[in-house]
Amino acid sequence: MIALPRVLAGTLVALFAGCASVPPWPETAGGDAGEPLVQLDVPFFPQERYQCGPAALATMLASQDIAVTADDLVPRVYLPEREGSLKVELVAAARQYGMLVYPLDRKLADIVAEVDAGHPVLVMQNLGFDWFPQWHFAVVVGYDPTEEDLILHTDTRRANRQPLSVFYRTWERAERWAAVILPPGDFPATAQALPYLEAASDLELTGQQAAAFAAYQASVSRWPDEPAPKLGMGNIAYSQERWTEAAGYYLETVASFPGLAPGWNNLAHALARSGCASQSAEALACANRLKPDTFASDLPTPPENSDFVCPTIQCPAID
Amino acid sequence: MHSIRTYLRQISLFMILAMGLATTWSTTAVAGVVGTGDVLTEQRAEVDRQSLMSMLERDEVKEALSTMGVDQSEVENRIQSLTPSELADFNEQLAEAPVGQDVVGIIVLFLLVFIVTDLLCATNIFSFINCIR
Repeated sequence: MIALPRVLAGTLVALFAGCASVPPWPETAGGDAGEPLVQLDVPFFPQERYQCGPAALATMLASQDIAVTADDLVPRVYLPEREGSLKVELVAAARQYGMLVYPLDRKLADIVAEVDAGHPVLVMQNLGFDWFPQWHFAVVVGYDPTEEDLILHTDTRRANRQPLSVFYRTWERAERWAAVILPPGDFPATAQALPYLEAASDLELTGQQAAAFAAYQASVSRWPDEPAPKLGMGNIAYSQERWTEAAGYYLETVASFPGLAPGWNNLAHALARSGCASQSAEALACANRLKPDTFASDLPTPPENSDFVCPTIQCPAID
Repeated sequence: MHSIRTYLRQISLFMILAMGLATTWSTTAVAGVVGTGDVLTEQRAEVDRQSLMSMLERDEVKEALSTMGVDQSEVENRIQSLTPSELADFNEQLAEAPVGQDVVGIIVLFLLVFIVTDLLCATNIFSFINCIR
């Protein structure tokens, strides 16, 4: 019984936690370096009525040298009936241009860090109230630490200044969503391994194999402790039926990450397709030794003739 | 007191449904190659699990749990059996909690999990909840 008041108290804290106040201006946001104001040179597309989504996305894409205008994007991301765009559509449309969409950590300092790195930041705002939202997309293109203003390309205004308090409250009401859109292989200033690789995997899932491959390839050296880049390169090669190439990537994967059961499983499939029946079975056995009863035993039938030199398979020792 | 009891039961039933839907957990063997995204999901879950586990090491949390009569090892077991999506939910809420309130927040989350397990009679921590069975 003693727990009941605590539950209620905790729930109340959780409920009111949403009304956080505006944080101080991020310390990292320059000023002392003698260049007080940062403003990126980013193309601007003033929005037509209600069409902030296409305008903001066009700004983001054009800043990466993609020849596109807001009008081109309207049929892709504007829902006439709703008089607006959905966040998920903007993200999907950016991917269709082969771009990697990296959602930022929900911190003001991360927006500033990206702008410092020369990356405009797509932000979502709620200009209305929680109970009567008015969603809006804009692009942060700079900031002024002296005035504590953010500078945004928004609606019909180029380089519009918004005081921190105003920006933060509207951003907060949109769950502080912000993203940078970059060519795969370029890294956001605030890039972290898992979110970046998840963004790359989203490209892979949406049919942007070449873009995903480039992102994985660049990640191999940047995050050598992550198994996903090599595995992903193998998966893309496999999906394109380049079996022996896939087997090569999977072999590299399990060489670096012998404990990664899916790596052995995928290797088994690629080896079977490459004409290595017995090695394939051995690799599958390795996978199922690491994770018992996880991987199905039906492997593809190896082709009749193949000039692929089958590798020697040695399962990792399990303690 | 009576009205609060009724209210909690409804919330708990809702939680069961919500979490039940979130935990449709496949146990069948994987056929074909494993997707990159699946490996990442699993990795993400492991990171989330570790960060929850490290929360348990904090003194305030230990104290709060013992005041409630909850055994720490029991909580650890619960965390081990959470699915990736449940872990992600927890961490999402943790990340959104203002600095300094994360301890209270995390305890509330634990409590919600325990309320559900109580209803299923897997545990018996809250005397005000009646077992479904």
